[in-house]
Parts: sequence; structure tokens; C-alpha cells
Amino acid sequence: MSIVRNLVKRNFFRDSLQLMQLSEEAKKLPGVVDAAIVMGTDTNKELLERLGLLTDEGASASENDMILAVRVEDEARVDEVLQEIESLVLKPPEEAEVREEEYYSVESALESMPDANLAVVSVPGEYARDVAMKFLEHGVHVHLFSDHVPIEHEVELKRYASSRGLFVLGPGAGTSIINGKAIAFANSVRRGPVGIVAAAGTGLQEVSVLLDSVGLGVSQGLGIGGNDVKKEVGGIMARDSILALERDPKTKLIMIVSKPPDKEVLDRLTQVVGEGKKTYVACFLGKTVYRPPKRLSMRIYPARSLHKAVLQAVKLLRPKKLPTARKKISMKLSELRSLSLKLSKKLAPRQRYIRALYTGGTLMYESLLIYRQLVGGVYSNAPLDERYRLPDPFKSMRHSVIDLGEEVFTAGRPHPMIDPTLRKLRIVEEAGDPEVAVITLDFVLGYGAHPDPVGATLDAIEEARERAAEDGREIIFMAHVCGTRRDPQGLREQEAKLRKAGVVTFPTNALMAFASALVVKKGKIRSDKLRKAYKEFIEV
Amino acid sequence: MSQEEAMERRLKLFRSELKVINVGLETFYKDLARQGVKVVHVRWSPPPKLEKELEEALDKLL
Repeated sequence: MSIVRNLVKRNFFRDSLQLMQLSEEAKKLPGVVDAAIVMGTDTNKELLERLGLLTDEGASASENDMILAVRVEDEARVDEVLQEIESLVLKPPEEAEVREEEYYSVESALESMPDANLAVVSVPGEYARDVAMKFLEHGVHVHLFSDHVPIEHEVELKRYASSRGLFVLGPGAGTSIINGKAIAFANSVRRGPVGIVAAAGTGLQEVSVLLDSVGLGVSQGLGIGGNDVKKEVGGIMARDSILALERDPKTKLIMIVSKPPDKEVLDRLTQVVGEGKKTYVACFLGKTVYRPPKRLSMRIYPARSLHKAVLQAVKLLRPKKLPTARKKISMKLSELRSLSLKLSKKLAPRQRYIRALYTGGTLMYESLLIYRQLVGGVYSNAPLDERYRLPDPFKSMRHSVIDLGEEVFTAGRPHPMIDPTLRKLRIVEEAGDPEVAVITLDFVLGYGAHPDPVGATLDAIEEARERAAEDGREIIFMAHVCGTRRDPQGLREQEAKLRKAGVVTFPTNALMAFASALVVKKGKIRSDKLRKAYKEFIEV
Repeated sequence: MSQEEAMERRLKLFRSELKVINVGLETFYKDLARQGVKVVHVRWSPPPKLEKELEEALDKLL
């Protein structure tokens, strides 16, 4: 008879990645059935409960406390195992690996590298301003990965930086590509003529890998943080980035990827673009269709999806290559139709809902826009329309699209692009619902991400299939892998693993959303509606 | 700093070899090093809570 025990260490901090590693080590200890070491946030306590690893002791922990949770085979061993786990936790992180290039303060690092030109800052949001400001005062550009940075801190940092010719990329900047190097969560992308300004992290990843795939490449990819285009911040870094890319000789076309900016920010940016000379693709992902002012209609080309933005860039920069690019990353409507019809034949009449489980927020959002037109109301933890907010983000209903990178799932935990645990549980859960027809998954490759996200998820897909099969059903799995062949995980290898497991893969997220909508509608979408959506989101 | 000097500073980043100081998540340090970027790592931990509260209380008093 196995037994579960929790030990709470009050006011004890390790970052979420260290905790994930410690959990893995704890699971390997002799006699341990399952183990998890987490900070005591509500999300983590909920997760422990789902894993059957929470006791009253653990439930009493606060978010400043660490919970050591373990299930052991033999009750007599439980104290001993907990002690072993505790000593793992108490060991200073990677104590053996003290390197020359490691410092304990910003000041000493600056002394050792006086010509540093970029700081990558990922401290908790409340401390981000103080750390980032030290770098700006030394004339160092900042990529600020931290989220939960108060907006007044963001404004203060950006105003200071802007007046001194410095970038503050972020906060909440998951991705940048500077001089061909991937910063934080970014892919190994060839250099090329497209400069990207993105207030949407996975948006930048998706367009940059697709630009790589169609042979164009990226000059610079500047992630400015989602709040930059809100009126409180006023687009300070969007403006500075656009101005810099206008002057950068390697940039021929500028692509802007963002949710629709606030009106005053959009007006300001339009003015900046108006004073420039280069060509723009404006990918504003939103419910309303963006139309550039007439006088700029030959310089600003709007695109309603990431997919379309990339094809539009090809059309503008290498029009002769457009047919090849279409072949590479797009599908004809007739192809999408026939594939979907074939797949939908596997479904029982009751199976009619999509469950889209995303790790990438912008990819999730792009799919919501497509679903809105093709299947109607879609529930989400980050919906387009508040009427469709899921009452419980841990529980899907009808068509549901989940952003597993949202705070409710990530408080005190690594991002799902690094730690697949929560999504795996969710995949299996969704398969228990007899009305589920399609489960769609994104896999984001590149630096920062899990070393083998597909490999780490396959057992959950298998378990989900078995669960459905016991009930005489088959679930259709679809996936989009956002990555390049040069990424550490390898696009081809990851896609091959999925296909081998019977998962249908798509070269872009927009195509996956489109196809999954067609499958659940079983061919019953009015053809004018279908053609309109295809034109708006896919066709160039 | 004039606007032109500010712009020159931004463009200089695009022309220069990256030299990075990473503060916080070590994985970003490792990934940059893997790409051949010159990078140093700052092992950051939050300042002790009590000190911060004291500091704030002192700030108010002064």
C-alpha cells in the first residue's frame, strides 16, 4: 500500500526550472512512486491534488513556501525518503559547477564585461525594474523576460531607455532574435531581409520560422512586450524599433506582429511609418480588420494571420518564389477539404468538439480568430469575447481553446513549453469526454524550450487514444510544430515522431485551426463562408 | 543625447558582436553560450524579504 506525504519548507525559494529538475531527481530515488517539489501556489496545489500528491500539510503552504510531495511504496521508508529529498533541495543549486564567468551581482558582472551590450533579465517582476535600470544606466540594452512587471515600471524604464538610444525589449518578452542569435525562447532562423517588431512572443516565433522555411530569413526580431502597444506605454519601443529598422541597411521589409494597438498608439505608429520609406506587413491579430490609411496602402499590407503575413512578405520581396512558398507552408482549400472529410469519417456522430491545447499564447489567439468565423462561439481561458470565458480553466466545455501559458497555469511553475506535465494530464482528460472529436497541439521548438517536447508528450497521446478506444471512439490528433531544421530539437525529427504516432501535422498553426474546424463541421460549412475565411486567413 | 546620437546607439547594436550579461534563469545563459555568444551569468536571488520591508519602512521615515 503506497503512502503520500508532504513536507513544507516555509519561506524557501528556488526558481521553477530548478524545482522541475529537483522533482525529476526525487522521482528517481529508490522506493519513490511519484514525487513533486513545487512552490505552494494555488496552481501547484491544484496540480498536486490531481496527481494525488497533496496532503493537509501541503495544502497549508503559502506561495512563499516550498512543498516536497512524495508517494512511496513502503510506509516504513517514507521518513527516510523525505529526508533524502530534503537534502537534495538543501544542496546549493549545481554547487559543483562554479564557473569563472559566473557572478553574484550585476555590478561585478558589469566590471568583468565592461563592453557588454545586452542584458537578458529574467528575475521576478517586482525586482525587474531595479535590475534593468542598473544596465540602462551603464548604456546596456535590455531584453526583459520577466513578467508581472508593474506597468509604471515599464513606462519608467522605456522612457529612460528611449531618450538614451537603448532598447528595452519586453517586459514579458519571450522572444527576440538579435544579429541572428536567439534570445530566450527563440528559434535558429537564417538571417534575411525581414525585420520583425513583435508585441506577441510566439507570434514572433511562428513568423520567423516560417520566413526561414520559405527562404527569406530575419534581419532582427525585436520582441517589445504585449503592453507596449497599449496607451499607457504609448508604443515607445514599437516606435524606436520601427525607426531603427527603417535605418538598418539589412532590413528590406518590416513586419509588425501584435494584437491591435490602442487607437492613439496606432495613430502614432502610422505617423512614424508614414515618415519612413520601407514596406510593411502589419499583422494585427484582432476581431476587427485593420485597414491602413489610403495614402499608405502601397506601403502597408495588412495580414489577419501569421500564416498570411509570411506569404505576403514573400509576395512583396520575392514574387516569383510565391508558388514555391505556398507549396511549402500552405494548402489549397480543396486539399484542406478533402483531408478533413477523410478524417471526419472516423468520428462517431456524438463527437463534434475541438479541444485545442496551446503552449503558445499568440498561436492560441490566432486559432480563436479562425474558429470564430468557422465554428462560432469557442470557450477559452483567454477568450475573444467574455461570454465565452471558461468558468473553470481546468475544465473544457463544448469547443474549448486553452492557453496553458496563462498565469493560472504557470504561477510558480515552468512554462508549458518547458514542462509538459499539465498539458499531458489535460490531453488524457479531454479524451474521456465522448463529445471530443479533435485535439490540437502546438509544439514550440527552439532555444529555451523542452529538449524533446514531442517525445515527452507521446505517452499522453497514447493513453488518450486508449481511453477513447475503450469506449469505442477514435480521437483525431493534430499538431503544428513551430520550429526550424536547425533548432536543437530538429523540426523534421519532431514532426516525424508525431506522424509515426498517427498525428496529423500542419506546417502552420492557421492551417491546423482551419482543418480542425472543417473536421468537426463534417463538411457542413456554407461554401461562401468557407471561402471568405480562407481568403482572410490563408490565401495570398 | 541628441536624437541622432540615440539612433546611432541603437544601430550600433545591430552591427556589433553580442556581449551578454544574463541575470536569472540559467537556461538562457546556457542557450546563448551554445550559440557561441559571449555571455556571463549572474546567479541572482531575491533580497531577503525582511530587509526589503525594513528598507521600505526606512524610505517612508526618511
